[in-house]
Amino acid sequence: MIWIAIVGSAVATYLIRSIPFVVTIRGRLPEAASRYLDALPVAIIAALVGPAVVAPAGALTHGAEPVAAALVIAAVAWRQSLLPGVIVGVLAVALFRLI
Amino acid sequence: MSLLVFAGASQFAMIRLFSESAPTAIVIASVLFINLRHALMAASLRSQFQGLPVLGRLFAAFVLTDEAFAMATGHFRRGGRSLAYYAVFAISLYVLWNVATLGGIVLGDAIGDPRRYGIDFAITATFIGIVVLAIRHRSDAVIAIAAALVAGGLALAGASTIAVITAGALAPLIAVFTRR
Repeated sequence: MIWIAIVGSAVATYLIRSIPFVVTIRGRLPEAASRYLDALPVAIIAALVGPAVVAPAGALTHGAEPVAAALVIAAVAWRQSLLPGVIVGVLAVALFRLI
Repeated sequence: MSLLVFAGASQFAMIRLFSESAPTAIVIASVLFINLRHALMAASLRSQFQGLPVLGRLFAAFVLTDEAFAMATGHFRRGGRSLAYYAVFAISLYVLWNVATLGGIVLGDAIGDPRRYGIDFAITATFIGIVVLAIRHRSDAVIAIAAALVAGGLALAGASTIAVITAGALAPLIAVFTRR
């Protein structure tokens, strides 16, 4: 039974990802649709971040993640590069969870 | 499981459902729901992959994950055009994920709680960084903050399976209804 569920889930996961890639739309997109698609990537990534910052492990944060997130934003905006942000973020979270 | 269902969040959900011996249909439906967000991601990446033959696009879809999507978006937003960037990153991720799964099976109990080291925050920090670097207009920042708050609020309210898809799909509407 577990194997049926695993294979079924594999098919479901794959279909969901591949259909938008393969289906092609003829003609030009309307202005509103292209604006929507343009804003979509940043919105999705931000939406992935939200729960991880506000509710890590499913419960309200004790404050470590929001503070670390603010530090990451500052570090990345300042250096214009990802790595300093990641280092600052991980160190900050580890430190805050210690205390 | 990691070889076939290459999707972290839904793998964890499946483990929980299996331990509660949930019916097969429920497991598959939950996975479908959790991974709806990848349809949004594929929709937003498709213009970059349009030059590829169908087989190439089908392969790109198989290795599409939150992380691959985020890195690819960051790359394209900085003006990058190379699809090899996506391919190398996504394939490495697939291999590492499965090697790490094997490692976890073997070593699992010896590691203890990884949260203590803050490692779980590395991917969140990376995503935050990608968003910061991708912001070009004030409306981008407004949309990002709205999406993060809505998704965070939904997750707190216990609706974590629909948090990302709902917030991710709604926030870009701000761009449709505002003038630059």
